[in-house]
Amino acid sequence: MNKNILRVITIIAAIFFVLWLGGLGWAMADYYGGKPNPITASKAPEKAKENGKELRVVAIGDSLTRGTGDESGKGYVGDVIDELKTKTKKPVKLLNLGVNGQRSDQLRTQLGQKEVQRQIQRANIVLMTIGGNDLFRGGQGLADYQSDKLQIIEKSYLQNLTAILKQIRTSNPDARVFFVGLYNPFMNLNEGKNISKVIRRINYESAEVSASFPKVVFVPTFDLFELKVNDYLYSDKFHPNTKGHRLIAERVASLITW
Amino acid sequence: MIKLVQNEMMKLIAKKRLLVIAAIIAVLVALFTYAQYKQVETQRHKLGTNDWRTILQQQIIDTQNRLSSSRISDDWKKQLKVGLQQQQYYLDHNINPSEPGAPTFMRMFLENSIDLFLPLMVMVIASDLVSSEHSLGSIKLLLTRPVRRWKVLLSKYITLCLSISLIVAITGIISYLISGMVFGYKGWGAPVLTGFNVTNQGLGTESVKLLDQWQFLLMDFGLVWFVAIVVGTLSFMLSVLIRSTAAGMGVMLAALISGAILSNMVSSWNSAKYLFMVNLRLTDYMKGTAPPIEGMTLSFSLAVLLVWWAAALAVAFWVFTKRDVY
Repeated sequence: MNKNILRVITIIAAIFFVLWLGGLGWAMADYYGGKPNPITASKAPEKAKENGKELRVVAIGDSLTRGTGDESGKGYVGDVIDELKTKTKKPVKLLNLGVNGQRSDQLRTQLGQKEVQRQIQRANIVLMTIGGNDLFRGGQGLADYQSDKLQIIEKSYLQNLTAILKQIRTSNPDARVFFVGLYNPFMNLNEGKNISKVIRRINYESAEVSASFPKVVFVPTFDLFELKVNDYLYSDKFHPNTKGHRLIAERVASLITW
Repeated sequence: MIKLVQNEMMKLIAKKRLLVIAAIIAVLVALFTYAQYKQVETQRHKLGTNDWRTILQQQIIDTQNRLSSSRISDDWKKQLKVGLQQQQYYLDHNINPSEPGAPTFMRMFLENSIDLFLPLMVMVIASDLVSSEHSLGSIKLLLTRPVRRWKVLLSKYITLCLSISLIVAITGIISYLISGMVFGYKGWGAPVLTGFNVTNQGLGTESVKLLDQWQFLLMDFGLVWFVAIVVGTLSFMLSVLIRSTAAGMGVMLAALISGAILSNMVSSWNSAKYLFMVNLRLTDYMKGTAPPIEGMTLSFSLAVLLVWWAAALAVAFWVFTKRDVY
């Protein structure tokens, strides 16, 4: 064995020994002693360039947007995208921001995030479902459909909806927004008729709010589920099943033009 | 003393163990590089974009949806939440948490190999440092020299520390060189956030610091090296205590693997935090993920490891100097 090689290796090892020890010391010093330095490097995301080469779809909202109930997992959004792909030669890009159980106030907060705004800003089409969880609180039904509580819920829902649509329009004045309305999953229950009444009212009010913004289309789904609701409901009797998602998708897709 | 160390170094290098270790690391790094590359590719294909913000945003939404499921345990939920808040923080501040490049790969490789892979590599050297002298019979030759026994052992220990330093360096260099071929060699200056406080409420961001990646890496290396030294010392002790190399390795291996398993399920067994093997993931504190057991902090883990290290060293020297050799 060459003595020199041995010596070199030993020295290199010793250097690394010191280096790593220094790293350890630095880690400890920094972890405990280092001052927090407020992040200033937060450059705003560069403005998205308008590019006509592709069709960008952003879906926001609740479990319906997420695709809950659809066995293929695509949901009505996925079906709409499939439909769009047959209609256009441009590549269709989807970003699905739907969160299970999301209420209108949570969506409002979500739209306050910079990155979500940036995505909306780049979108050509925005698909939205919201309101179901405000009203039914995750499928529990409409326990007190005639009390004052409902009025409070309705009022804050409409306020949130206005804020949401305003935010979308501020971020992106051009994108078409398709706001998918509510259906009544409890049609066949004893109180179905009363619940339907509430839902029709809320749908009407949602449509009114949508109409006050340009290029926002309110898409009714109430009638789709009206006659044979159980054929189109998932086993939880709340979310639409594969067929139900398909129904919604067909309606939305037929409205999309460019 | 220097002569003794040189002698030990010569023995070590003659065994070509370091080359074997380098080869193992190279193979693994190549594997991981390919896996990582594939993952990025599928992600890009699925979302149809290269934009890291879109990808991160989608990951955040996916985690939110997982959180909304009622079927996941509270512990897991808490960990997911901390991860989620961290991702959101990165996104809000427009910082890419995994800037593509070899340094980022190196960081990820280090963070994932700190508790099992690197300790294993260290064991390859440490576990037969003394016991092989027994099995070869050369221990008698060594001890009949006019040198005090503790000096003999110390020279072996210094050799161990030096070679551990080399192994850590080799890991860094090899992972940089190999992954750089795919991801590019840039990214030393990429911003990395550290200083997140993980509390019961979730993630505290009031003392967050912005570091350059190279700074963060050097700290990571320091922590990885410390863990390697502690594990190396423990198997060094076993190598003194147990004459059979295989038995010593078995014990150490069992301890390490049990540590990896335990970390996932000890959250309700509070006193488990005094075991050395659940304290190995030091880099997680820098990164800001929820510790396996509540109340564990960087200083706590360092202290526990330090105690184990000192005890192992003391036992090793005491036994080696007192024991009859025949």
